[in-house]
Amino acid sequence: MKDSTKVGVAVIGLGKMGIIHTALVNMIPEARLVAIADINKQLSKYVEQAGLKAPFYSDVEQMIAEAKPDAALICTPPAANLALAETCARHGIHLFAEKPLAHTFEAAKKMAALAESKRIVNATGYLLAHFGPCKKAGVLLKEGVVGRVFRFRSSFYTTEVMGKKKGWYYDKAQAGGGAVINVGSHLLYLIYAYFGLPESVFARSGYLHSEVEDAATAVLEYGEGVTGTFDVSWSLPGYRLPYVSLFVEGENGTLELTNDYVKLYLYKAHKGYCREWTTIHKIDLPSTSRFELGAEGLYEEDQDFVRRCLDGKAPAVTWADGLEVQRLIEAIYRSAAHNKVISMTEVK
Amino acid sequence: MPLDKLLLGSNSFEGVSYLSRTQALHYQEHFSREDNIVAVLEAAHNLGVTSFVCSNCENVMAAIRKFPRVQDLSLLPVIPNAYEYAMEASEKGVLGAVLSKAKGFSMYQKVRLGLRALTKIKSVLSKDVMDLLLELLHFELASFEKFKLGGVILHGQVTDLALSSQNPDIIGIFQDIIREEYGLEPILATHNFGVLLPQLIEWKIRIPIMAPLNSKGFMMKPSKEECESLVKESGYEIVAKKVLAGGRLSPEEAFPYLADKKVSSVVLGIGSVPEAYHTFSVAKSVLKF
Repeated sequence: MKDSTKVGVAVIGLGKMGIIHTALVNMIPEARLVAIADINKQLSKYVEQAGLKAPFYSDVEQMIAEAKPDAALICTPPAANLALAETCARHGIHLFAEKPLAHTFEAAKKMAALAESKRIVNATGYLLAHFGPCKKAGVLLKEGVVGRVFRFRSSFYTTEVMGKKKGWYYDKAQAGGGAVINVGSHLLYLIYAYFGLPESVFARSGYLHSEVEDAATAVLEYGEGVTGTFDVSWSLPGYRLPYVSLFVEGENGTLELTNDYVKLYLYKAHKGYCREWTTIHKIDLPSTSRFELGAEGLYEEDQDFVRRCLDGKAPAVTWADGLEVQRLIEAIYRSAAHNKVISMTEVK
Repeated sequence: MPLDKLLLGSNSFEGVSYLSRTQALHYQEHFSREDNIVAVLEAAHNLGVTSFVCSNCENVMAAIRKFPRVQDLSLLPVIPNAYEYAMEASEKGVLGAVLSKAKGFSMYQKVRLGLRALTKIKSVLSKDVMDLLLELLHFELASFEKFKLGGVILHGQVTDLALSSQNPDIIGIFQDIIREEYGLEPILATHNFGVLLPQLIEWKIRIPIMAPLNSKGFMMKPSKEECESLVKESGYEIVAKKVLAGGRLSPEEAFPYLADKKVSSVVLGIGSVPEAYHTFSVAKSVLKF
C-alpha cells in the first residue's frame, strides 16, 4: 500500500553513484524506494539478489507508468540527463541530478528552464554543499569574519588518472570534458556559492593521459581588484582521496579551507573569533548525518532533496545553481580552447 | 578463540589521516618503505601486541613478509580492499577491478578460486551475485594463506551497503564461509554501528562488530548516545576503533572513556615507533589489559 507520508523515490542509473544513492534512499525515514531503472537489463538480477526491494525497469516510461514515483534521482552519465529530465518532468516528478547538471552548457540551460517551467523540486549533486568544513567556511565568509575579500586561490587534486583510461568518464561526448567538469566542478560550485560568478575568466588546460583535459588552471577576475585562481588535476600522485583547498585573503585576515579543517588568522578579534589563529577541525564539527555511506555529506544531500519534495522549498543546490556552475565551466573551456580572456557576459 | 585485547591497525601505513593532509602525506611517504612498518610491528610486538588488523595493500604485505617474528603475528585481514577496487571501478567497473588484480595469480590459483570464469565483464554480469561474493572472499583471502589469521573483517563499506540494501544474505554468507570453511572468527566493520546492531538483532545474526567509539562521538552513527546505549546493553562482542577520534584525542584523554565500556578489544592505528610505545603503554595501564 502506498504510504502517502513518504516520498516515493526512483533511482535511474545503477553505476557506482546509483548504487550508493539507492542504498541511502533506503535509510532515509521520509523516503521509500519505489523503482530502479537502468538500460542494462542484466542488472535486474543484481537488484533482486542485492536484496533491493523495488522493481527494476529498463524503460523509464514504463517505470513512471507502473511505479508512479514522486521523485527520481538521475545518476546516469551527464549526456543522458536532459532527455531523462524531460521525460520525468512531463509527469511532474521531482528531480535530483548527479553533478554536473549536464554534459554541455546548452543542455544545462534547457534543464534549468525545464525545472522552472514545470515547477518541480530540483537538486544538483554538488556534495560539498553538505560537507561540514565547507558549510562552516560558508558561514564565516557570509558573516564577514575575514572582512572584504580581495583575493583567493583554490585547488582540487586527486590521484585518479595516472595513465590512459577508458569509460564514459573520459569521453567528452558523454561526460562533457575531463578534470574540470568531472571533479573540479565540485570546487567551482564552492567558488560560485562563496563569491558568485566572476566578470571574466582566463584558463589553460593540460592533457597528459586522456583525450579530455587532465588538469586546468584558471584566473577569475571579479572587478574592483578582486581575483581568484582555480587549479584542478586528477593526475597528481599523493592524493589518495580528492583534496579541496581554498585560501582566502580578506582585509581582516585569512581563511583556509581544506577537507580536514577551517583555519582563520585574524589581525584583530572579530565576530567572536580571537586575534591570530583559530582552527576548526572537521572532527570537532557537529555531525548532521544519521547514516554514512560512500562519502560524508551524501546522506544529507539525499535527505535534503527528499525533505524539500515534502515541503516544496528549494534544496541546498538547485538546477539554477547547477546552471551557474556550468556557466563557469563553459567559460573555462572556451578560454582554454581559444586562448583568450572570456567575459562572463559572453556565456549566456 | 577470543580476540586479543589490543590490536594494531594499518590506517597510518595506508596513508590515512583524519587530521590533515600534511600528516597523511607524511604517512604515505614514510610507510612506503616497508622497513618503517616493520619497525612499528617490532615496537608493538615488544609490548605484547601481536594482532594486526590490515588490508592486502602492497607495502603492508611486504612488511609482514619481512617482519622477523612473523610467526608470532596474528593477522585480521579487512576484505575486500575497497579503496583499491574503488580506484579502478570508474574505468573497469568493480568486477573489472577484481579481474585486473587476479592477473597476479597463477593459473592454478585462478582455477582453485573459481576465477577462470571471470575472463570478461559480460560473463561476470551474468553470474550470480552471491557466487561472485564467494569468489571475491576466497580471492582476497588467498593473499594471506601463508600467514596465521586471527579473524577476518568484512570492510565497512560492504557491511554498510548490505545493511542499507536490507540484505542479510551477504552478511550470512560472509559469516558462514569464514566460520565453516576457514575456521576463523568473522567480524563486521561498520561506520553505522547504531543502525547495524539493531538490524543484526532483528536478523538474528550474532557476530562481533568493529565500530568507532570515542568520547567525541566521532563517526558514531546515528548518534553518540544511541551507540553508547547499545554498547552497554546489547551483549554483542565489540571491537572499538577510532578511539583517538582520528587523532584529536591523546591516549591519556581517550582511554579513560573506554575504561568502563563493554568492549572486548581496541584497535589502534600507529604513526611511529615512539607513538607505538606511548599509546600501547597508556592503553594497557588505563584499560587494565
